[in-house]
Amino acid sequence: MQQTMKIKFIKRLALLLLFSFYIQFSYAQEKSISGRVLDFNTGESLPGANIIVKGTNNGTTSDFDGFFKFNISDDDKILLVSFIGYEIYETPIDNRSNYIVRLKSQDLSIDEVVVIGYGSVKKSDLTGSVSSVKGDDLTKIPAASIEQSLHGKVAGLQVSNISGAPGSIPVLRIRGVGTLNNSSPIFVVDGIILDDISFLNSADIESIEVLKDASATAIYGSRGANGVIIITSKSGKSGEGTTFNFSSEYSMQFLQKRIDLLSGSEFARVVNQINPGTFNNIDLVANTDWQNQVFENNTPLLNIQFSFSGSTKDKYNYYFGVGYFDQQGVIPKSDYNRITAKLNQTYFFTKKIKIGSNLSLSSEKRNNAANVISQIYRAWPSSLPINEDGSFAEVNGSGNPLASISYNNSNYDKLRSVGNLYADFKFLKYFVFKSSIGFDLGYGKSKNFAPIYYVSPTQQNVTNDLTVYNDEFFTWLWENTLNFDYSIENHNINILGGYTMQKMTFENLGGSVQNLSGNDPSLWYLNAGETPTQRSFNSGSASSMISYLFRANYSYSSKYLITASLRSDGSSKFSKSNRFGYFPSFALGWNLSKEDFFPKNKIMEKLKLRASWGKIGNEKIPQNERFALVSNVENAVFGIDEKLIAGASLGNTANPNLRWETTTQTDIGVEMGFLKDKIKAEIDFFDRKTEDILVGVSIPGYFGNGAFVRVITNAADIRNQGVEFNLGLHSNIGNIKASFNANGSIIKNEVLKLASTTGDDSFISGGNLSNGQQVTRTEVGEPIGSFYGYEVIGIIQNQNELDNSAIVSGQEIGDLKFKDIDNNGIIDAADRTYLGSPIPDFIFGFSTSLKYKQLSLTIDLQGQTGNKIYNGKNAVRPDLYNFESRVKDRWHGEGTSNSEPRATASGANYSASSYFIEDGSFLRLRNVSLQYSFKPESLSKFKISQLNVYIKGTNLYTISKFSGYSPEIGSNDVISSGIDFGSYPVTAVISFGMSCKF
Amino acid sequence: MNTNLIKNKYKIFTCFLLLIIVINIGCDKDFLEEKPQGITTETTFLKNSGDAVLATNAIYSSAREWNFYSGGYPILDVMSDDAVKGSNPGDGAFLNLFDRFQFTSEIGDVSRWYSALYKCVRRSNIVIERVPEIDMDGKLKNRLIAEAKFFRAFSYFQLIKAFGDVPEVTIENPPYNLIRTDKNKIYQDIIIKDLEFAIEFLPFKDKYGSADIGRITKGAAGTLLADVYLFRNDFVNSEKYALQVIESMKYDLEDNYSDAFSIKGQHGIESVFEIAALPEENPTLGGNQYANTQGVRGTPNRGWGFNRPSMDLINSFEEKDIRKDATIIFLNEVIDGITIVGDRTTPDITYTDETNTVIKEMETYNQKVWVSGSTTVEEWGYNVRIYRYAEVLLIAAEALNENGNQPLALDYLNKVRKRAGLDDSDIIDKEILRNQIWKERRLELALECKRYFDLIRQDRAYNILGDKGFIKGKNELLPIPQNEIDLSNGLLKQNPKW
Repeated sequence: MQQTMKIKFIKRLALLLLFSFYIQFSYAQEKSISGRVLDFNTGESLPGANIIVKGTNNGTTSDFDGFFKFNISDDDKILLVSFIGYEIYETPIDNRSNYIVRLKSQDLSIDEVVVIGYGSVKKSDLTGSVSSVKGDDLTKIPAASIEQSLHGKVAGLQVSNISGAPGSIPVLRIRGVGTLNNSSPIFVVDGIILDDISFLNSADIESIEVLKDASATAIYGSRGANGVIIITSKSGKSGEGTTFNFSSEYSMQFLQKRIDLLSGSEFARVVNQINPGTFNNIDLVANTDWQNQVFENNTPLLNIQFSFSGSTKDKYNYYFGVGYFDQQGVIPKSDYNRITAKLNQTYFFTKKIKIGSNLSLSSEKRNNAANVISQIYRAWPSSLPINEDGSFAEVNGSGNPLASISYNNSNYDKLRSVGNLYADFKFLKYFVFKSSIGFDLGYGKSKNFAPIYYVSPTQQNVTNDLTVYNDEFFTWLWENTLNFDYSIENHNINILGGYTMQKMTFENLGGSVQNLSGNDPSLWYLNAGETPTQRSFNSGSASSMISYLFRANYSYSSKYLITASLRSDGSSKFSKSNRFGYFPSFALGWNLSKEDFFPKNKIMEKLKLRASWGKIGNEKIPQNERFALVSNVENAVFGIDEKLIAGASLGNTANPNLRWETTTQTDIGVEMGFLKDKIKAEIDFFDRKTEDILVGVSIPGYFGNGAFVRVITNAADIRNQGVEFNLGLHSNIGNIKASFNANGSIIKNEVLKLASTTGDDSFISGGNLSNGQQVTRTEVGEPIGSFYGYEVIGIIQNQNELDNSAIVSGQEIGDLKFKDIDNNGIIDAADRTYLGSPIPDFIFGFSTSLKYKQLSLTIDLQGQTGNKIYNGKNAVRPDLYNFESRVKDRWHGEGTSNSEPRATASGANYSASSYFIEDGSFLRLRNVSLQYSFKPESLSKFKISQLNVYIKGTNLYTISKFSGYSPEIGSNDVISSGIDFGSYPVTAVISFGMSCKF
Repeated sequence: MNTNLIKNKYKIFTCFLLLIIVINIGCDKDFLEEKPQGITTETTFLKNSGDAVLATNAIYSSAREWNFYSGGYPILDVMSDDAVKGSNPGDGAFLNLFDRFQFTSEIGDVSRWYSALYKCVRRSNIVIERVPEIDMDGKLKNRLIAEAKFFRAFSYFQLIKAFGDVPEVTIENPPYNLIRTDKNKIYQDIIIKDLEFAIEFLPFKDKYGSADIGRITKGAAGTLLADVYLFRNDFVNSEKYALQVIESMKYDLEDNYSDAFSIKGQHGIESVFEIAALPEENPTLGGNQYANTQGVRGTPNRGWGFNRPSMDLINSFEEKDIRKDATIIFLNEVIDGITIVGDRTTPDITYTDETNTVIKEMETYNQKVWVSGSTTVEEWGYNVRIYRYAEVLLIAAEALNENGNQPLALDYLNKVRKRAGLDDSDIIDKEILRNQIWKERRLELALECKRYFDLIRQDRAYNILGDKGFIKGKNELLPIPQNEIDLSNGLLKQNPKW
């Protein structure tokens, strides 16, 4: 396994090198020039600046005192000097032999350009709430998914891992949970609207912008309500020579934390109290630590990237990048690897006509972990993993996790290609017409194979079986926009109009078979099985959309800014009368600091106010919801030998009147800059109200849909209100360049309306533990999916207390005492109450960066407070399982405990209650990294302009009271989130790496 | 060069503009019309005889829902004096509310039952409404409609017995503002007419091919109609239809009482109406959880162990009545070579008071739903027997007795007694014989969800169930589910005292 992977890797590396030789470059060395690079303001020398001949890759870097010297050819015309944090400087090459270059430091806030939907705008002219993540921040975290790099980076964006499995994708929520349905934002990658960006390699990304308020998102109409994340990939820049980048990183992953479970003898003592005499001699009880048995330490993760980019004669700009990512999980036989290739290119026909393409290719391969976390948690520590004869032993409480891993074979491969081709025409001086055809196509296949095995009567497979599943999807998107940009005196007008069409199709095909002729992977095909056992399935979907978009920006001397936008979306998901939705927005901005009356003090130099309002939609609902469909699985059983005979009837009552969910969002923001932008601050207040949320609504039973079948209807409202802030400090303390950033957001989520104020539709039960308990409830006045159950007020200490307390029937002394909310003397369903919300009140992130000479240190922290977690894995006990160590503090006589009940394996102590609620607040050391950058002068002889080596740690430490692996419990189901069922743990990672540029 | 490019530029640009216009005009309408893929929609369904058969088959599927007959668990027996909740004390504790008549109109199980019956009504209405329009073989068409009418009548009969007046729905898409229709009108307009139609157009049991065994027969429709009249105390009509079934000579009693409801006797000589199922833990694959909910709990693990036979039922059997052992599984009994150990977490026996003399309850199970095998899956294949010939005989006996034909009534009664290993009865007093027949019904049909409605019909429910909590004037009917009343904005009125 390991061997073949290595070979694969070497092959891929060879390919990569081939690519790099494919590019040819030449050197003409005829004369020598020299000079020095200095700071324009201070006159200090600038070491490490890049000096190149424009349009070539011939160049060098300045040495420690800012001096440089290199050879150029006679043809060379322009010298280009650049340095991070400074404006690019160009000077003609003449007869000078010594060039003194004074670089002006960049005024980031003025020149920073922010990408917005269908365009870009200067940060100072922005009227919406948009956060950017750029550069190093995108590649800090050793993970395949780019979403991982956004943890704690953007105010108002919550990123939570569902699982720590290799290649897993976290859940994103922008400004709270806005709907009861799919609440995930959309991604726009180089103009293509997507839901899944697993094909992207973070090294190929230039910047990520998170669009939050209505002014920014309304241009995405019916898809913008959950927020929009725009991803711009790297491209070659005019005027640059060819630059090569290579980076390589090796990481080791390990468990950040283990769950504190009972040892063999501790467990035996507890069990003997529950079922006396189960273990006769506690001294002889085995002690198996199942976490040690299963989890591997220091599993490797490899990440290698190579890219080159540049421009040929300013006519052809290109970026080409390839990447290889390979991650082994801490659970054996779980891994993920991905190869990505990116080619972005632009060709300028003339100054007015430009064509280009952005193309991505990826191949992902994943081996899915066996579902062993709950087995590890449940397995009796008194059971041994392996029999004396070497076979897997029967494990009490659950199956044998080692056997489950050994017999689990589940993989998923995916090929994906995403890209677009576009053409830009400038005409009549002020107009640009752009047409772009984008596509997203993917092909995935998975296989699951279980061999014949026998471990115990409850863990066995009598016939081997195979399931295969293939899916393919294809989306095309045609966008046409016309842009009008006009300035006269102090008036700037920009108008954008557009028309887009999109079509999405999906199809899957799969089958299963039993009794394959062998276990070898070469036989994992349906044909290798017994024909009569073959079953197949095949389904598909298609949807389409047409949109018209319009936006106008007007600014008056950059003081007064106005933006108005309107998008109209038509979707096949709705019937004709409700097909088109209209999504307007309106925003104002005022740069107060540009007013004459603004005091010219040296403290506050910048002040901008902005306000926006708009309506945005959510169309992420199932395709066929509006149709009355025929259900063809209504089979009968007939015949003397009883066979299943096909039956079909009309399905449930449909709702042809479905329409869009609409979010109305108001945002007020303040941006401030102090002390020459050494301190920057931004605060936003928002109110986000979603109406017409689709929920199931009961209809009379006599309609004949069956019990509790509901009809999807636009009926619920939800509000998210909050404050977001961003604070940045940049300062030089002696030789140390320091910067500090903090962001945070406070969110209040409230359900305003459901389908009914009384009866079954006045709340929505969620959080199904699959033992009959539903531990969340969504009800008007509470946050979505709040935990719901009995409130524990102590332990029943003695007979007197038992006799005088309201109890659940069957409760005994030493059991949990529940609060009798309705004071009627018994504990029943009416005594359940709200026990907290899985939605945090406050999410935040800090990052610090310190640079001293060649060393730089960055530290990122991230966290949240106020959310609760339901310990579902502890609550579900259909059988006798191992216990968490809190059981050691159990009640064993009057006064011994008032929080931990006597040992029981079932009964009232396992009712849904606050006993299982834990505090989900945490503060995590997300990333700490120490980097050494070699001095440029020591590299120049190797033709290397930059070389960095680093060591970094990810998730090394988390401060949290939560007893499970990780306090981040993400879920795609918003009414059932925050329940820990025992998912694949998120790991801590230590990485070593290097990157170089030449 | 440059001018060429400019020309090209405009050409390309013009092309794009044209394309946009073309697409705008040409595709707009159809582009956004996406049909569901791989699924038939309402508009294309029920156009041919194949669809008619499919739609009729789908009715049988709705009858396999485990709460279709007797409300699941089954509630009906738990409410009667034949059974208590069962399982272990903590499991399904809400079922005690039925045992003690403490449930309210908000309990979900009543709602589920109500909805399951209307689901069958909907499926039947779809066939009754649409199949007549289809151009197809007339004989088959009538048979399919007759099958649907049988199920519609059966569902309404169950609804009326349980809830009294109910909304009358005879079309596929009813309006939102229905009120409760007088049950007598439903009897007249739907139940009796549907069954008369069904009797006319359904074939006898032996006229179905072997592949169609399990479909509704003329005999089933006749039995149901006899039962309907019996419930309405119309003994003349009840006698008429029961005798029609008996005289058709298509049925007889199984020699061995157990075979009347065991796997072995499925579709046997005694079976009049049974709902076939397959051993699959998935209703769409043919499973029915009816037996699984009542199967032996613990060892062997055959199910959940609800519907535990009551001490009253156990004690009601005469010493030599072979039906006692065939109806009740006692612990340590050996069935099909399997020793019944039961559920270790339940006390085997509980007593009524501290002196520990009178047994209140003991761990026993309903043997009628016993299915041999090693896993719970087999229980899902149990065919629920709704009418068997023994009941037809008892209906006839009861009606004949009321109509003054005691000798013939005794004939039929004694057939049933004989098989049970009991001596012939020779009672000729109408009142005494009536009680004898009622007792025979209880023991013959024990745990088959007949007892509760029998007690209501016989107007003895309060006398017998009063101690359990039965309230006169209230518990003769279940409550209309509160959710239905809420959804109707009060148009649906609740039953008395609920």
